[in-house]
Amino acid sequence: MSTPTHMVEMRDVCMQFEEKKVLDGLSLKVAPQERLVILGQSGSGKSTILRLILGTLRPASGSIFFRRHEITRLQRGRLQRVRQHMGMVYQYSALLSSRTVSENVALPLEELTDKSRSEIDKIVDEKLELVGMEDSKDLLPEELSGGMRKRVALARALVLQPELILLDEPSAGLDPVIASVIDELIITLTEKSKVTSITATHEMDSAFRIATRMAMLYQGKIIEEAKPEEFKQSKNPVVAQFLSGSTEGPILEGTLDAITKK
Amino acid sequence: MANARAQPPVLVAQGIGHLTRNFLREVGGVFWFIVNTFQETFERIQKGRVPFRATSFFRHTERAGVDSVPLVGLVSFFLGLTMALLTGYQLQRFGTERLIPGLVAIAFTRELGPLLTGIMLAARIGAAFTAELGTMQVNEEVEAIEAMGIGPLRFLVAPRMLALFFLMPCLSTVSNIAAIFASSLVCKAYFSMAFPYFLDLVKDSLLIRDIITGILKSFMFGLLIAAIACYRGLTVKGGAAGVGTSTTSSVVTAITTVIGFDTLYNIVYTTFYPT
Repeated sequence: MSTPTHMVEMRDVCMQFEEKKVLDGLSLKVAPQERLVILGQSGSGKSTILRLILGTLRPASGSIFFRRHEITRLQRGRLQRVRQHMGMVYQYSALLSSRTVSENVALPLEELTDKSRSEIDKIVDEKLELVGMEDSKDLLPEELSGGMRKRVALARALVLQPELILLDEPSAGLDPVIASVIDELIITLTEKSKVTSITATHEMDSAFRIATRMAMLYQGKIIEEAKPEEFKQSKNPVVAQFLSGSTEGPILEGTLDAITKK
Repeated sequence: MANARAQPPVLVAQGIGHLTRNFLREVGGVFWFIVNTFQETFERIQKGRVPFRATSFFRHTERAGVDSVPLVGLVSFFLGLTMALLTGYQLQRFGTERLIPGLVAIAFTRELGPLLTGIMLAARIGAAFTAELGTMQVNEEVEAIEAMGIGPLRFLVAPRMLALFFLMPCLSTVSNIAAIFASSLVCKAYFSMAFPYFLDLVKDSLLIRDIITGILKSFMFGLLIAAIACYRGLTVKGGAAGVGTSTTSSVVTAITTVIGFDTLYNIVYTTFYPT
């Protein structure tokens, strides 16, 4: 088997939850410092791809590489060490509700490094300043708005200076202005820290703002991969329908009749 | 289709088989959960790092231990009182009320102290652990911890398990003392037994072996309650309703396991030490 040269490589990955096949022979490559956006319908398996890369889910078949590590074959201890080079921002932020903002951001540093308290505090302050949350460091997650939580999650994901950051619907559920702020933050922070990012979203504005490359996930496979400008001009009927938001086309074929009949 | 045509005895056998399989799956699940927690914790120690922060451990010991003292003490006090009173009147008929102190002391140190404490802690702390971890699981907090490269078992489960493991014997002792104290009050008030005489009778009847048996049992109860509660919490499925179901299931399973383990322990114990 050839050694991967990319930051992330997925080869012929299949994944199913009980009877439902989510990924069906998916292959994907992500180059270093690229900002890949995976587009797809809700429930198409975008978040599953991110979880497979993280190794919190195991595929039914196929292999997944992060750098030289084959995620699918790593033992627990080794996988935990590899994960320290990745950061994940969850759709609902997944901040630890019993810890304050600064304690949330400090957690990976406390648990995984030998840094002193003062060093940790300094890094936490720096990261919170980067995302504009320095004034909220003593608040609990429940006291924050959706956008603020996303920013804290972003700071937490970047605190160990990862090589790869995975973002699951980073702007979902936010108003357009805050969504733009989050997108700009993602671009600035990833460029500044030279981090590769993979974003799963179905928000078109956000996707075109963030992406340096886009991939369309449909029926468990990547059916189109291109730079944003080329992606916009895609002749693929599925991509064209998805971008236009039209009800006419292959995506709803069969299901539309069922929906309207109801 | 085959099921629709099956005869009642077959259906009963199927049901028993199904229940046995689920039971064994659960037992295996909890067993490997404990093994994995130990493994993850020791891997961390081998790297020369503390597996979890002392503050986390002490927070759980305070909640599980110190905060449970009033409940454990009060329930044991009332039970000791009732036991001394009821057995006292029966023994008085034969003129053997001097046996009350020994009876209460042995019953509590060997059996009732650990068992009562186990049941109370399963309901009070086991439910809290399951609900807490279950909510974290539903909110993806546990996955986020895992995604950071932090072992959730050693970070979330180990401090809880260790806290209950060490706190159970302490609380059992509180239970024993409360019950013996309550029975001394009954002996004084109803059977005119002076405190020094009462204490002499307790000391005469109580063996070191009884105390050690109770303490050993308590350690195991603590470990089992914490393991079951955390296991149920981390395997929650189905949102808020799932947390509720798992919490109920955690309490029921923990209480049943504690009583079952106690019975097994007693059978083994009496086989080797029949007197």
